[in-house]
Amino acid sequence: MASDQAFIIQFQASTNREANFTALLKKHQQKVYYQIKRMVTDHADADDIAQLVWIKIWDKLDGFKMESEFTTWLFRIAYNETLNYIQKQKKQGTNPSNSDLLDYENATASTDSPKSTEIQIGLDRAISQLPEKQKVVFMLRYYEGFDYEKIASIVGTTIGGAKANYHQAVKKVEGFIKQL
Amino acid sequence: MEKDTEFNNQDSIGNSLEQDRAWAESLLNKQSLSQFNASKIDAPLNYFESFPDQLMSRIANERSEKLEKKNAKIFFLPSFMQPINRWAIAAAFIIVVGGSFIFLNNSVSKKTQASMVTNNISLQDLSIEEIETYVDANEWIAEIDVQAQMQKENARLSTLDKKQIEEIKKNITK
Repeated sequence: MASDQAFIIQFQASTNREANFTALLKKHQQKVYYQIKRMVTDHADADDIAQLVWIKIWDKLDGFKMESEFTTWLFRIAYNETLNYIQKQKKQGTNPSNSDLLDYENATASTDSPKSTEIQIGLDRAISQLPEKQKVVFMLRYYEGFDYEKIASIVGTTIGGAKANYHQAVKKVEGFIKQL
Repeated sequence: MEKDTEFNNQDSIGNSLEQDRAWAESLLNKQSLSQFNASKIDAPLNYFESFPDQLMSRIANERSEKLEKKNAKIFFLPSFMQPINRWAIAAAFIIVVGGSFIFLNNSVSKKTQASMVTNNISLQDLSIEEIETYVDANEWIAEIDVQAQMQKENARLSTLDKKQIEEIKKNITK
């Protein structure tokens, strides 16, 4: 499979732009979507944000200088767009992070044992209550396996700051579950 | 830097991915963490297959909308130009209307002056006998014509300045 750089160079050289962009899109769309969905939960919201992210990528890809990895840039845009979306929703009085949390809790309750259900719901609630930056750092480190340097670039902090965010996120979730 | 130092004194995080994961799992339960992720990373059936086409058609629509907006903006000037532009348009309008008015007025007065002179010359060319015979033959018509002609001449004379009148007088005496 061709590298991101090869697609980007061809896109910037105006050689079959749509095909090269679509190749990049197909390669990364799932990870971007999942990252967004971990933050907003609801599919419709995640779909809206994902479209905004990729439209922005289309508009800005000509100016991308490849000083950082494409995926770092992509995830940073996804992170910023998601934060903007969440802030807008909060201003309008709706909270996308909790919009279908109840559905999820009901589904979990019907399939698992009472103890694991309790932990599961607790974990979900605890993670949803984390500050956005801590939540994203935890997701990117634990689930995506990104290194701290990349995470720091995505969320706009230092490497030490990213490590601290991961630590605080895990500790806060642990504290919340213990209270149950 | 301060955060880094503070952090390094805490638990053993940040060495490797495996260590970080193991630490989180020891505190939060591995199974719950994987269930949490599984619940978040689902998507409707065929969503990822249809997403690229939907996105590309949206991008195409937005591009054509942007082009339409660009085309509609041909006559807009930058905002700093607008007050100057307004005055420039007003000044140009006044110059064009005023200029054409003056030009037309001049050419009309020249024409009337010229026709007056030719009329006087033609009357002068006629002999008194000819005029008398014509008047005798067409007495009442001539009376009306003469009166009308006199009125016209009076009207024309009133529009002439002194120089023009003197010129006409000179022509008559010649």
